Amino acid sequence: MLWTFIDIERQKSWRIVIFFSVLIMLYLLMSFALAASFYPLFPFSGFSMKLFFQEPSFLLVVFISSVIIASIHFCLSSLNAVAYIKKSLPALAPDTEDEIHKQLINIVDEIQIASGRKINIQCLVIPSLSVNALSAVDLRGNAIIAITEGLLSRISRAQLETVIAHEACHILSGDCLETTIAASLFGIPSAAVEKVCNASEGRIFFVPAFLFAWLMVKVSCMLNMFISREREYRADAGAVRMTRNPLALAEVLYLLSRRWKGIGHIGAGIEMLCIMNTSDSILDESEGWLADLMSTHPPVNKRIKILLQMAHAGTSELTRQIDGGENKKLNEVPEYMFYALDNKYQWQGPFTVMELAVLPWLSADTWISNNGDALLKASQLQLFDVMLRKRFASDANAVSDYLCPSCRNPLIPETYEKTKIYQCRFCGGSLMDDVKLPRIIVRKDVKYSERINALSRITLSENQLRQLARNKNNSAKANMNLLYCPKCKSRMNRTFYSMAYLVELDRCSYCGISWFEKDELEILQCMIDNRMASTPLPLPDASEKSNVLNEVHLE
Amino acid sequence: MIGWILLGAATLFLLWVIITYNSLISLRNNVQNAWKQIDIQLKRRHDLIPNLVSAVKGAMEFEQDTLEKVISARAKAVSSVGAQEKAGAENMLTETLGKLFAVMENYPDLKSNANIIQLQEELTSTENKISFSRQLYNDLVANYRIRQELFPDTIIASVFSGFQKEVYFEASAADRAVPIVDTSIRKSHTG
Repeated sequence: MLWTFIDIERQKSWRIVIFFSVLIMLYLLMSFALAASFYPLFPFSGFSMKLFFQEPSFLLVVFISSVIIASIHFCLSSLNAVAYIKKSLPALAPDTEDEIHKQLINIVDEIQIASGRKINIQCLVIPSLSVNALSAVDLRGNAIIAITEGLLSRISRAQLETVIAHEACHILSGDCLETTIAASLFGIPSAAVEKVCNASEGRIFFVPAFLFAWLMVKVSCMLNMFISREREYRADAGAVRMTRNPLALAEVLYLLSRRWKGIGHIGAGIEMLCIMNTSDSILDESEGWLADLMSTHPPVNKRIKILLQMAHAGTSELTRQIDGGENKKLNEVPEYMFYALDNKYQWQGPFTVMELAVLPWLSADTWISNNGDALLKASQLQLFDVMLRKRFASDANAVSDYLCPSCRNPLIPETYEKTKIYQCRFCGGSLMDDVKLPRIIVRKDVKYSERINALSRITLSENQLRQLARNKNNSAKANMNLLYCPKCKSRMNRTFYSMAYLVELDRCSYCGISWFEKDELEILQCMIDNRMASTPLPLPDASEKSNVLNEVHLE
Repeated sequence: MIGWILLGAATLFLLWVIITYNSLISLRNNVQNAWKQIDIQLKRRHDLIPNLVSAVKGAMEFEQDTLEKVISARAKAVSSVGAQEKAGAENMLTETLGKLFAVMENYPDLKSNANIIQLQEELTSTENKISFSRQLYNDLVANYRIRQELFPDTIIASVFSGFQKEVYFEASAADRAVPIVDTSIRKSHTG
């Protein structure tokens, strides 16, 4: 394959030598600083400061020890860079039982074929709602492409193909190696410091060990000068060459530019590896020598413009198409709505196909009405035939080993939002691993009925009061009837999903699983989709406090 | 002295012949390997099609004609021999599969069946792998042909036997006639 620009890029491995030299200089400076600090304590007599700098053997010892320490740092960081990055994100292998993750595995395989299988690439998923993707390769030859759940679930197959091709081009061209080494030498320690400082609200910053790490952060920023922003243009061009689809890549970049790209989750030290910078920086969107020197990513507008020129399309058409598509997806009215007669002979509904399929009381003999159309039994409906047959046939042999924490009936493995979770057919609760929660939240296959919308509003206002009461009355937690984890049988914690989205769920911190009572999961999805976040309530005065506590029922 | 110069020149010439010959052999093997990769993906597609047909035939009783066309196109592709005939049969199979996927869109129960969704994804992935393999094959053929025609490598390619010109994988007539273009965007852009 005529990868001319890749061949050019391969010649630029001299940058790695620069990184190593910077590392040696850093350690040399620190060694001198340390030696000068402890000089008065040295048991040598007759030495003066002048002699200290003029003593050749002393200088040689300091230099050699700096080179040795720098070499150990370089080897440890560069050889295990991919492992460090995986751990710091933290990125996980794709779930083979998840439809979208399987698609990702297939696409990575396709792109490897397109590149002639020059390098074995491992794909990973970052369990974050943000939208971003990154690639890394270390000196051992381990190459990874990691993509966030948020991006994975928001883009089409063709768009995902272009993202993977873009990241694969970074790996193939070798520019990824130098950025990974730069990130592993200085970026990963700085990302770790960033997380610790955030957690300790800056207090730990004054510990001397963290001053060294802070220095790493500054060096990491300085090394950005050697990371060319041109490599992003080349990777875009390479992706178009592989997939022949510039429009899909332009659409992805446009989507990335408008959403949360992972700042806070993806450390600042490794943002140079991402398809787009995690923070919105004015420097990134500028042109000129200063921006070229200090920024690692080119202006997104320029990237989109180049791609649109390749596709013979205009910017306004692109935005119109994407906005139209997104709105259409959000406002899409379910095509088929059904009513079903429950065990108490009450009509329930309307339900979508998916909602109908998971009703615990639905059987082959349940009466179904298509909003005034002919009344039929569920088994007679052609639309549900395949789905119901599969569900009833699977009942006998697809029961899991876990029992419902609420009603003690066996949980059934079900596919929800294209991923496997466990559901209780009797009480309607759902059990899932915590890592699956972000992907369920970000996917929009399940449409919410009016009932769920109304329940979300009620839950929000009720739980705001409940939270207020909990804050005022610490003993409230002790009165709660806690459920037992279906896996480890220990007590789960009844908590809110977050302080912004007040939906209660039961979490087992040992097993990393969450249990949602009936409708809670959909309520949470509905709240996040409609941005129904909690607002801080004013604190009640003493007279109101007792009223609030009396009104709110705490389980 | 002249003897040494002649010996040096002869050694250099011999080295050039060896290096050029070896690089041409390497390029030829890469091309042959790329062709075999296409075969692997085609075989995978042939294996998946009967599963898809048996999964959808219950729900698509009124589309027997489309299903039969897919089955006969697959049979032709499996039994075809020779690059030309094979390429024609595979192109025909791609077209009929495309029609089947289009017809499947009209059946909502098929779209919600996990087994069919998985088969469709596998077939889509295989189709993409076939097209990427062809793309790689054509790139490698282009490299090989350039080396064969460049002077002075062309001398080695013509003197030694075994360096025949490899043929490109041509797109079908149908593929050329219906380019995949997003008309809405292009229309707005030009207008």
